[in-house]
Amino acid sequence: MMERLPRPKRIDSSMWVDEAIWGHRFYDEQSPWLCIMEFLNVLQSEYQDGRAFKEGAFNTLRYTAYPRMYLRNILFNNPQMELIERNFQNDNNSQWNAWIDEMNKNSGGMNVVDFSYLKKRFTSYQDFVEIINFLRSTTIEGENNKRWSSQFIFPYGPDCLYEDLRVTGNSISNDRRFFGRTGELLYLMLSRSNKKDDILKYLTNKVLDGKSPFNRLVAQLQPEGEQYDGDKREGGYLPYSNLPEYDSLSEDWINLFNCNMPNYDVFPHLVNITGLHMIIYLLNRSKEVLNDVNKTTFILEIIAPQKTIIRDLASDSYSQNNNLSKQTIEEYVLGIKNTEEWNRVITSGDTYEAARDLIVKVFSWKDDDKAKATTADGLLDEFYKKASARHKQHVQNFHRVWGREIGLVSKRSSRRLRYAPTDSLLKALVLSNVETKMEFQEFLDCLYKKYGFIIGDRQAGSLLETGQADMEAFSENAVRLEERLSSMGLLKRLSDACAYVENPFVRVVIR
Amino acid sequence: MVIRNADWVNFLRQYGPIPRNDNMYDEAIQRSIEKKGIEPIKVEPEYLSGLIDNFKTGYPRSVILTGTAGDGKTFYCREVWLALGGSKEDWDNNETIKVLPLKNHSLYVIKDLSELSDDNRYIIYDMAESIKQDNGKVFLVAANDGQLIEKWKTAEFNYIVSEVAGFIEDLLVSEQQYKEGYNLQLINLSRTNSAKIFPKIVESVVNHPGWDECQNCSFKENESIYNRCPIWENKKRLEGAQDEKILQERLIDLLELCELNEVHIPIRQLLLLISNMLLGHPEARDKLMSCSQIPKILEDKSSSSASIYRNIFGENLSKRRRETTDIFSTLNRFGIGTESNNFIDNILIFGEDDPELKDIFNKYMTSDEFYGADETYKGDQKAYLEGEVSKDESDRFLNRLRSQRQRLFFTVDTNDIIEIQVWDLTSFKYAGEFLESVYRRLENEKRVQPKILGRLVKGINRISTGLLTKDSDVVYLSTSGSHSQSKISRVYETEISVRPNRGESVNILLENGKPVLNVNMSLSDEIGPVSLKLHLVRYEFISRVAEGELPGSFSRECYEDLLAFKSRLLNQLEYRRKIEGAYETDPDRLVLELLRINNEGMLYRRTVEVDFE
Repeated sequence: MMERLPRPKRIDSSMWVDEAIWGHRFYDEQSPWLCIMEFLNVLQSEYQDGRAFKEGAFNTLRYTAYPRMYLRNILFNNPQMELIERNFQNDNNSQWNAWIDEMNKNSGGMNVVDFSYLKKRFTSYQDFVEIINFLRSTTIEGENNKRWSSQFIFPYGPDCLYEDLRVTGNSISNDRRFFGRTGELLYLMLSRSNKKDDILKYLTNKVLDGKSPFNRLVAQLQPEGEQYDGDKREGGYLPYSNLPEYDSLSEDWINLFNCNMPNYDVFPHLVNITGLHMIIYLLNRSKEVLNDVNKTTFILEIIAPQKTIIRDLASDSYSQNNNLSKQTIEEYVLGIKNTEEWNRVITSGDTYEAARDLIVKVFSWKDDDKAKATTADGLLDEFYKKASARHKQHVQNFHRVWGREIGLVSKRSSRRLRYAPTDSLLKALVLSNVETKMEFQEFLDCLYKKYGFIIGDRQAGSLLETGQADMEAFSENAVRLEERLSSMGLLKRLSDACAYVENPFVRVVIR
Repeated sequence: MVIRNADWVNFLRQYGPIPRNDNMYDEAIQRSIEKKGIEPIKVEPEYLSGLIDNFKTGYPRSVILTGTAGDGKTFYCREVWLALGGSKEDWDNNETIKVLPLKNHSLYVIKDLSELSDDNRYIIYDMAESIKQDNGKVFLVAANDGQLIEKWKTAEFNYIVSEVAGFIEDLLVSEQQYKEGYNLQLINLSRTNSAKIFPKIVESVVNHPGWDECQNCSFKENESIYNRCPIWENKKRLEGAQDEKILQERLIDLLELCELNEVHIPIRQLLLLISNMLLGHPEARDKLMSCSQIPKILEDKSSSSASIYRNIFGENLSKRRRETTDIFSTLNRFGIGTESNNFIDNILIFGEDDPELKDIFNKYMTSDEFYGADETYKGDQKAYLEGEVSKDESDRFLNRLRSQRQRLFFTVDTNDIIEIQVWDLTSFKYAGEFLESVYRRLENEKRVQPKILGRLVKGINRISTGLLTKDSDVVYLSTSGSHSQSKISRVYETEISVRPNRGESVNILLENGKPVLNVNMSLSDEIGPVSLKLHLVRYEFISRVAEGELPGSFSRECYEDLLAFKSRLLNQLEYRRKIEGAYETDPDRLVLELLRINNEGMLYRRTVEVDFE
């Protein structure tokens, strides 16, 4: 097994279990979209300092995060805007004055407040209202019910990037409610990947250079000078210096960029594909701890009108994967019993003390002094329960929550969760794997090799041998995918035996 | 009583949905033909004479035949072989590669490329060579296209093979037959239009001399409907001599729609359909009637279960068999039997007692004592209306309703089509219009009426802007400012005039025999039109959205499909701006044009300007 990178001293944690296996940290409540937003924050800051994707010493990331409180108050903490427009109809001056007055009094998270700079930047209050409404309509994840300080505007450029914050009266604090460092991990993964330079090049043009008109529009909403007073944030921890998963992720990003989609169309696909790679990363790390050498696979049901055997298999496949992380914690902690060190513990004079020292050493346990157990085994058990309870809070949910977020996991027409991809995930898969056209069976094979997706009979190989399913059920599953892709305009059928998956963005022929 | 056991009917059964090994299909039928001396069902093969002529010239091309199983690949190979003087014995031996000397060349015939063993793989190289330059060999090879590509791709790698493999793939995907510099013709039999062949096969079947055997049979058109042979009855209805072939016409409509929807139906499936239409009966052996079973069926009074209208959808078969037989699963996607409208169901359920519906009920229901409103139907109907029925009985009646809807679809005559809204009996209520007012008009070199074009444009505008607009004179191109998966796009980019105006226009044309909606953006040849193949599902989706349905409610997939079209329009717009040099962003200001909708449902622009300091 590969060597884990050392734990950075600066990270404070009650133990080092989840972190050691997967990193610090995978956070289920941070949606894939917000992961990308946090990532862009990190990247932008490092770009500004000339260090984009350059890690230096491992796990020493330290970046600036901007609050941009003016912008956020205007966009998301501004309930009176339209009311004022109506109350002072056709009176531009009064509209501005009333609104500036209102904002100066009631905005949050700022000490010295003056919104009057806006008045001279817009032709009229009405135009201003129109623009704010438009920008609001591009809020990430549309109508969500998060607090206003956790709302994000679309990342048109550096002036649109800021961190998630908690606002109490005039003060702000970084509570990491929705920016839970998953985006930092994504940043670290890409920093350690083989395509980082190409990614940087693309994102520089699209986002970082700040030249897009919408970014400049957003800049217009902010007072000068504000953006430079950001705080430094200490970055997360990613345990391995290099992994094939990082490269695979970065290659998919480049494939998506190469599609040349108009405007910012690439983003939703980027979000879904990133989510998928994160899930695969998570499962692969689990398998390493469990010494499971089998490829990580997902049996995907292409939703059928009636219940099929595939539906059951997809549910089972989901449950198995979903339980992996829990088993991993068990193996990682209790597995210490099989080590030479533990042997020394139980043969030593004071087994309890020796066990305690070992657990503290290996797992960086902080609360050992509060332990109730009195024996070595008891202590290890107690620690395992604590580690397991901690794992249950967030990391354990990651597979399920993110699986649903990216459209991989679904409950549709069933009570059990299972793998059943949505149209938008399928589209992302086509875009990131099919450069121009690809024969359908080859496509299925490609999905299997890269992501472990089992859809057709040729990928179901071992399942068929063990008699868990018949070939026909899987080939029907593949036919359903073929039909679905065809009605999404992503597949061209030549005959009953031959079909091509096509990338809709590179095509010149008629569709 | 004279009862005949017609060999012909037994022969016809062989074409039907009976369990059999598909690879043996052609061989089995050949054997029957020889043994019983039955004349085969003949359909004039479209490519045969051309193929034979090709190999007779001094400079023949190699030919690859591809297509779906059942398109007649083996048939063509055999007929060419025999026509060029190959012997029947040689054809029947087990050699995969058969060789025949021609004038200056040797002809290699491989009737199924997938049978090619590893020892014979060298032949691929020979063939590649012969396609690139004359090496004294020509080939006639049949393969379904999946195998074809696989064989070529897995063939031992060398420069010529991989070049030719890529070229064949290109031909297949681009639907071409030839390409300069390559001595090869690729015929994709799946491009043959089943709607055009179907009437020919029907004719060949109904006029087959085999029916002569029935002449003296006493069940043939017996005076009493209780002694009338359902096979003969079905044959008469298929022939359509009494009703101007309405059944054939409607069925051809359905097949045409399948073809337009890119679903190809091979000849073998058409034969299967016809066999099942004539002979289907749920209680018969293998669900297909033969003469010997007719007396029993008549005795059981179960003739109505042999209804040709039900058999079209494979209702005589088990659910599993129906779902796994291509032609039935395809035809059942039209939902005929399940779909209806109030008017039609009122006729079926209340027609007899409603003075306003009585005439039409008599015309379509009472008049057909064989498959229409017979005594049992009327009895069940009464009981159902009076509500004194058990769950089973009511299910039985609902099932009968289903059969009657199926029958109505194939019997309503052309004059009543508008009143009865026949296409409401399918899942695609715009299907009839799509066929008549779009596809067939274009085929007859007429233009699609502005009313229909306008409706499509309106639908496209609704889908792409996400706003409930009524605009139908221009195509609005707008973005959401972020990505196009967000449902509403209010940032105006441009509008494309539907009526020709400085190179801009929207029209519907036939390309490769299929209707295509073109959005032209420029007079310049460099900026080609953005095209959308109009097939049934897209047409239905866009039309429904135009008439008020929400884009997401008909089908998510169609919505995604149309969003991809929108993306292509936007890409082309960007290209146009680049070519025309109009792609300047003013560095000092941003002009944002936001779409809004007025009280009349028309879009207008609200312009906002921001100066950058």
